[in-house]
Amino acid sequence: MSLSAQEKWELEEKALSLREKVLRMIKASGSGHLGGALSATEILTALYFRIMRVDPQRPDWPERDRFVLSAGHKCLILYAALAEKGFLPESYLDTYGDLKSPLPGHPSMEKQPGVEANTGALGHGLSIAGGMAMGLRAQEKKNRVFVLMGDGEQAEGSNWEAAAAASYHKLDNLLAFVDRNGLQIGGKTTEVMSYEPLEDRWSAFGWSVKTIDGNNIEQVVEAIESAPFEAGKPSVIIADTVKSKGLSFAEGDAAYHYWKAGADEMKTADADLKKAREILENARKGLK
Amino acid sequence: MKTVSWNRTFTEAKDPRKTFGEALTDAGSAIPEIIALSTDSSSGSGMGPFAKKFPERHYEFGIMEQGAIGYAAGLASTGLIPFYAAIAPFVTARPYEMFRNDLGYMQQNVKVVGRCAGLTYSHLGPTHHSLDDIAIIRTIPGVTILNPGDPVSIHKAVQAAAEFKGPAYIRIGSPPMPGIYNGDVPFEAGKGNVLMDGTDVTIIATGTMLANAVKAAMSLESEGVSVCLIDMHTVKPLDTELVLEAAERTGRIVTVEEHYVTGGLGSAVAELCSANRPTPVHMIGVKDQYASNGPYEELLGLYGLQAGQIADTVRNILK
Repeated sequence: MSLSAQEKWELEEKALSLREKVLRMIKASGSGHLGGALSATEILTALYFRIMRVDPQRPDWPERDRFVLSAGHKCLILYAALAEKGFLPESYLDTYGDLKSPLPGHPSMEKQPGVEANTGALGHGLSIAGGMAMGLRAQEKKNRVFVLMGDGEQAEGSNWEAAAAASYHKLDNLLAFVDRNGLQIGGKTTEVMSYEPLEDRWSAFGWSVKTIDGNNIEQVVEAIESAPFEAGKPSVIIADTVKSKGLSFAEGDAAYHYWKAGADEMKTADADLKKAREILENARKGLK
Repeated sequence: MKTVSWNRTFTEAKDPRKTFGEALTDAGSAIPEIIALSTDSSSGSGMGPFAKKFPERHYEFGIMEQGAIGYAAGLASTGLIPFYAAIAPFVTARPYEMFRNDLGYMQQNVKVVGRCAGLTYSHLGPTHHSLDDIAIIRTIPGVTILNPGDPVSIHKAVQAAAEFKGPAYIRIGSPPMPGIYNGDVPFEAGKGNVLMDGTDVTIIATGTMLANAVKAAMSLESEGVSVCLIDMHTVKPLDTELVLEAAERTGRIVTVEEHYVTGGLGSAVAELCSANRPTPVHMIGVKDQYASNGPYEELLGLYGLQAGQIADTVRNILK
């Protein structure tokens, strides 16, 4: 189902709101995993504000859909989405980096309701999500399971064990994302250790594959709504994205995988997001 | 110190894997959430009867021992109770990080069964020996380690694990195990069983070494040594009260395990005693080395794990 202009605007506004929250958390602690949080923003926006059935009042609601953040270092965007959705008070965002914060540098289920798996070590999420999908299907439940991986993370061999098992067991209630921003700590993913062509590899592992512009909210929504792409097969969306999307000085620069925010850059970041909000507000007038 | 009733004559030896399989099938008949996970070793692990009786509750993953732990965690998060059995090093050493993060850190209700533990795969050498599995899993907070020492205990360990919530590691061997207990013996996770309540020396044995320790203790007893013999079927959480009581009672402890002395039962006992009641703890087990290859009984002999050797070690300590 394609988005109306109003719906598209609302989701873009949510995405901006999440980016603002990411920045708020980095302000609180002085640093954080910026790049991947901002490249994956539209994916989490689509999931939490259009697709997933979740209830912040009942984080353990058995009928909920589940999201596993395999690339746990992108947790700022998960926390932003959970806050926007009402799983946690906004004021918690200012505790990021504190000893007793429910929002640690990698997500923890015990500390923050709404987090579905303790992640951080790469290459774990897909098998956990696969197990969830398998268990829900075995109990004839309709819930869906989503998992987000990074593209650098593709080099973890455990992903490919999990991928093979998911197709062998025909888990078509499982939808995976690869956030292909093209960068990892050491530089370009194709230069550090290439797993391209990702489409061919996933397809060879028995998955049904779609490639999209992962920072285009319409494309993200449309792809998710068309899953499973084939009955009896798990689906994967290869989302081409821009690392640190939305911050002029950091876009597409591997140095901002983890950002230790200086005052000048923070000023520019604030100005970038302020400008983005002005543009959105102007666009809202055009809707009426 | 209350002793439990046990057979002073051993009953017929049984294949521990077969016993595990029977226990799993029994538990699965009573608890519909129980499922069986295999990585290409379903029948070798004794899960054949379960798979036959409940084909829709048996999941095969092929040889993917890391990913299977993650799948088990995900399955458990939906309310199912996975029992995942395979060769011990491949469910402990190989997927250690998955065990720690996906089962331990997330406290998922998964029961991992390491079979053919210790020196069972005697001919196949150190890649297939599992002399470090207890040490590895013992470092993971919140994981119960059950190491039953006879067929009745294996059955009860599986039942107990099915009934408590949280991750567990159940360790079993492969050579036939003689029966020590009758069916009435209590099995409470975290509570050791006292078989003999003597006062000269305490022997604490676990898992596959229980029968040899029993033989050693009976031979010492026949010579007039007053032995306190404990079956420590749960290595974690350790029955600290019982160990300290035995330390107080006898003043010296000998631990016996088919495992490295580093990080196993002996270490756990020594760690406890050193802080609470300093007591000499002599650990019988394999020292810091890759074990040799060869016939199982001969390998046990090479490392001082046969019943006669255990008795000799205790005699030397008492001299």
